[in-house]
Amino acid sequence: MTTASQNPRVDDTDTSPVLSVRDLTVSFPSEAGRVDAVRGVSFDLRPGRTLGIVGESGSGKSVTSLAIMGLLTKSARVSGSITLDGRELVGLTEGQLSRVRGNEIAMIFQDPLSSLTPVFTVGDQLVEAIQIHRQVSRQAAWDRGIELLGLVGIPNPAVRMKSFPHEFSGGMRQRVMIAIAIANDPKLIIADEPTTALDVTIQAQVLDLLKTAQQETGAAVIMITHDMGVVAGTADDVLVMYAGKPVETAAVGELFNNPKMPYTIGLLGAIPRPDAAAKDPLVPIEGNPPILINLPDACPFVARCPISVPECSATEPGLVEISSSHSAACIRSGEIHQGQIEERPVFPVPEIAEGRIAGIPREQRSTVLDVTDLTREFPLMKGSVLKRRVGTVYAVNGLTFDIAEGETFAIVGESGSGKTTTLLAIMDLAKEAGGTVVLNGTDLRSVKGRSARDLRRDLQIVFQDPMGALDPRFTVAEIIAEPMRAFSIPRSEIEDRVSELMETVGLDPAHAERFPGAFSGGQRQRIGIARALASKPKLLVLDEPVSALDVSIQAGVINLLDRLKHELGLSYLFVAHDLSVVRHLADRVAVMYLGKFVEVGDVDEIFDHPTHPYTEALISAIPVPDPAVER
Amino acid sequence: MTEPNTPETVEVLTEDLLADPAAPEVPSNPRKSTSSSKSKLYIKRFLRNYSAVVGVVIFLLIALFSVFGQYLTPYGYEEVDFFNLQVPPGTEGHIFGTNGVGNDLFAGLAHGIQRSLVIGLAVSLVTTLIAAVVGSIAAYVGGIVERIILEVIHFLLVVPSFLILAMVSNSVGGDWRMLIVVLIIFGWMFYARVVWTTALSIREREFVSAARYMGLGPFTVVWRHIIPNIGSLLTIHFTLGVVSTIQGETGLSFLGFGVKQPDLSLGTLISDGMGTLYSAPWMFWIPAITLTLLTVSMAFIADGLRDALDPNSTAGGHA
Amino acid sequence: MIKYVLRRIAGWCFMIFLATNLTYFLANAFLKPRVNFQLRRPPLPDDQIDRLLDEHNLNDKIPIIERWWTWLTDIVTRWDWGTSVDGLVVNTEIANRMWVSAQLVLGATILSTVIGIALGVYTAARQYKWQDRIAQQTSVVTLNIPAPVMAAAVVAIAIAINEKVGSRIFFVAGAQSIGVQGFWPKLVDSLQHLVLPTVALTVIGYAGFHFLQRSLLLDNINADYVRTARAKGLPLSKAIRKHALRTSIIPVATTVAFQIPGIFTGAVITETIFAWEGIGRYFTTTIAKNDVHGAVAIAAFSALLTAIGAILSDVLIAALDPRVRVS
Repeated sequence: MTTASQNPRVDDTDTSPVLSVRDLTVSFPSEAGRVDAVRGVSFDLRPGRTLGIVGESGSGKSVTSLAIMGLLTKSARVSGSITLDGRELVGLTEGQLSRVRGNEIAMIFQDPLSSLTPVFTVGDQLVEAIQIHRQVSRQAAWDRGIELLGLVGIPNPAVRMKSFPHEFSGGMRQRVMIAIAIANDPKLIIADEPTTALDVTIQAQVLDLLKTAQQETGAAVIMITHDMGVVAGTADDVLVMYAGKPVETAAVGELFNNPKMPYTIGLLGAIPRPDAAAKDPLVPIEGNPPILINLPDACPFVARCPISVPECSATEPGLVEISSSHSAACIRSGEIHQGQIEERPVFPVPEIAEGRIAGIPREQRSTVLDVTDLTREFPLMKGSVLKRRVGTVYAVNGLTFDIAEGETFAIVGESGSGKTTTLLAIMDLAKEAGGTVVLNGTDLRSVKGRSARDLRRDLQIVFQDPMGALDPRFTVAEIIAEPMRAFSIPRSEIEDRVSELMETVGLDPAHAERFPGAFSGGQRQRIGIARALASKPKLLVLDEPVSALDVSIQAGVINLLDRLKHELGLSYLFVAHDLSVVRHLADRVAVMYLGKFVEVGDVDEIFDHPTHPYTEALISAIPVPDPAVER
Repeated sequence: MTEPNTPETVEVLTEDLLADPAAPEVPSNPRKSTSSSKSKLYIKRFLRNYSAVVGVVIFLLIALFSVFGQYLTPYGYEEVDFFNLQVPPGTEGHIFGTNGVGNDLFAGLAHGIQRSLVIGLAVSLVTTLIAAVVGSIAAYVGGIVERIILEVIHFLLVVPSFLILAMVSNSVGGDWRMLIVVLIIFGWMFYARVVWTTALSIREREFVSAARYMGLGPFTVVWRHIIPNIGSLLTIHFTLGVVSTIQGETGLSFLGFGVKQPDLSLGTLISDGMGTLYSAPWMFWIPAITLTLLTVSMAFIADGLRDALDPNSTAGGHA
Repeated sequence: MIKYVLRRIAGWCFMIFLATNLTYFLANAFLKPRVNFQLRRPPLPDDQIDRLLDEHNLNDKIPIIERWWTWLTDIVTRWDWGTSVDGLVVNTEIANRMWVSAQLVLGATILSTVIGIALGVYTAARQYKWQDRIAQQTSVVTLNIPAPVMAAAVVAIAIAINEKVGSRIFFVAGAQSIGVQGFWPKLVDSLQHLVLPTVALTVIGYAGFHFLQRSLLLDNINADYVRTARAKGLPLSKAIRKHALRTSIIPVATTVAFQIPGIFTGAVITETIFAWEGIGRYFTTTIAKNDVHGAVAIAAFSALLTAIGAILSDVLIAALDPRVRVS
């Protein structure tokens, strides 16, 4: 039940583990019953090593880390054992735990924007972290703070000590968090999704910095993430969690090369690769993770597993040792080799038929959207209550591009590059923007009133947040019917069309009368796609359509988008920050930086032979889910 | 009081499960339509709040009394019993006694509550509606419309509305219908501002953008998507609005600027009773306690509604 | 920064000007000073009434625009806000009564704020425990007791105490007794008058601050940065006191700033019941006695104080919150 490489019995190194977790369980009361968020986690972690804990939302990985820190709410019930250097942490009082936190264990959180107190200077917060555990003068602590800020790569640290958190960018704030974390030379650093909220180039820098910090302090690191690329690049050992339990644990190379648990195989197959040109469909894991209330005694993955057998439902399998450094919780793990079982892949690869349009060369297709010199400026305001204009920001500055029928055009760029503003300028029918936008031969700005509304039939959008995009007070049928009603489609047609659309996007039409709250994230995104398709548009604008979804769910939605493009001959204007998804889905791509396109072209060309230095930096920063490539 | 561990579970539900992205979603039974299970959940949460339930019971008793009280006494509220001037409760069928000119307090109280309640309900209902529409339109349409609406609200807040209220209602001679109109005119601004702030966050939700991109007009979007999604806020406002209107009306009437003779409300009863606080204390304390019970019970109802509909204010839109 | 503040002040001045003039026209439409004379017994002849009204610029036979212009020029040139029908000078009335109201409301405001914030902090740290529930329910009750009822209840209790002790510890009416000499006796006498209305106002007023502080603190207790503070090694209670409280006090401070003007405009009902001749009482008198100029002056005064409160709260935010500091 331990990370096998650190199993004291077979381990040839004599360092004892700095952290030992045994049978950790955490549960919370809820109105629906007791939620078993963590159901028996065990592992050992030695100094200087990095353990990656991967899993999707609800797998219990963050709750595990908060349990180690003793930061769970009072209502949480924790049992099992957590020992730090042989000292038991479970059952300590708040006072005793506070002497461990920040001193022996430090933690870095996901959202750097909200993790620092807004009303204190960065210096005060660093000094506080030092003085809690050390009897040093304020001056000495301040000097040490400057040293730490310099160490984490903040330029001009002596001056920046006096700055407030809002005066730093997200990446800089995460550096400050790391400085606070290493202030007292901890034995263990827990990083909970430390780069999820950051742009990809910043992510690479912060991960590098974490590595440096680890070398500096010799600490062990627990890296909690959902990103297989991050795991491949940072972890020595990996623990895969599903439904509150570890389902596979192995050294990082072994896990990626020869996963033994179908869930891990599915997870790896579901991720698009940023370094592969081939456009094979992704392999989604069907279904959703179970709800952690009154779980039956069966493999929690059984409902989603393509190779399940009746015995899987008999009892819940525990981790079984396969080799000295590899355990998996699957009764068929012995039959699985390199993702294959009985000479066939564990997850069958779905087929997506190429549409008729794919065979036609781009030059012979009609142009759906033609954008010339699109500009969107905002007044730059200053002042807190009454604002005044002090200048102009060009959020979008002179974009020119076109999209052919059946083509996916992607815009990539980091936050603040203006990519979403571009989409909204087009969706607002270029009302407040400069330049010309021609949709299907009609200049958007030449139309008004009734015909402007008709134009919208051809132009629909799918949003990022599947939760926020659907009115919680409408049933699914009402949601999908709304655009049809708006475009005055006869009532008699609407009902049939709703069922048809639900089938198209892979939903059961029998569920039409339910509310969005009853659906999972992936299903909600499908509802959003069905709504966008309702008016039979020519061009679908996709604003980060999969970034809010877990990887196993994301693959299914990506495949759906791919299929719809071929079946319906749709064109996509697609914005995403995840470059792997872009490479998988797009035909052509534009790289956007500070409101301008720095490079436009064929997707494989740009990814394999970037010419602009920014593109190069962007692409080399993407973590590849393959430890062999990452190291 | 309430059983000890129930709100604890609410706390977990809202703060841990919703706030922690790693925690599992709260299960919803997919067989049942969520709307019915949702309203059941609201009722369950409300009933768990004992003070709110007690509030409902007290409120219902007072409301029933105001409707049927007049049938339980042989005296009318305008009638004068010359043989029983300022008699204590229980004298000759005067259940709550009489005042110095022989008006029966029991009949007067029933009528006064009715008057105060009708004013409170009507004013609160209309002001909540106006506030909902004006606030949401300002938030959704934005631009110049928003600026104008906000400036008007802003200005009306600077204008000493209580003074104008007193002046106007004094000069219309205590007609309760006019009082309702005046209270509405000066009552909607503050709520409209609150609605505006909430609607601003709803406007940012993507389903509102989706509706706009379908080409729906602003009134349709506000009516179909924004107002229904601030329903819980409006419900709470309505309840608290009844309380504050009754307080305002009784305050005005107490000072002599609200409802006037021969009509009466709880405020005039208290004002009259104040004059005989020592010679005929029941004339003050009976309506005073009734008024307090009325406002406090409604406040408890509002409190219970808030807990039930909106256990976590940051999750407002989900309710 | 200074330019910005000046612009804000100019904006507010315009608002006050507008509000005051609007009230002037409304007051002239709804208050009828002529009635005061018409009801005289024996009846006065019409031309004498006109003369008396003319004396105070209140004659409704003169076009409203003309009266308005006279009123406005008097204010602008001589800072003369006019007189009532009975010849009372508005300037003096406001100047005197303002301090009476301040005496009455100042103590209550300070007490409400301190008690409310303390209770908010205490209960937020004990969310859903019995202390929190009892405080919550109590505050809901006190907040919703109508002012006349509260005042009467306080008076009744005070009289009962007076009778029990057998001497007048508390005075239930007025701001001071007549004929008291010497500093200490005067002070004691003032306090004896002050206690009851202060208690009545505090009991009604503290609950608002209690709820505000509690809910703001609870919002902040679950903030990420409080978790960071705990991860650094601060125990929960200290992390709340240092990090959550400091952030949550900002909106409370601005609310307090908005309340300060209320100190000078007084509490209408409480002043009426305790017979304090403050601004609140003046308010009822002007309306009951058709005192157009007095009513308008009160309107202007309270609009001015609202503006001061708003500017004060802006200044407070800028001082307390580094995020909105204007560079």
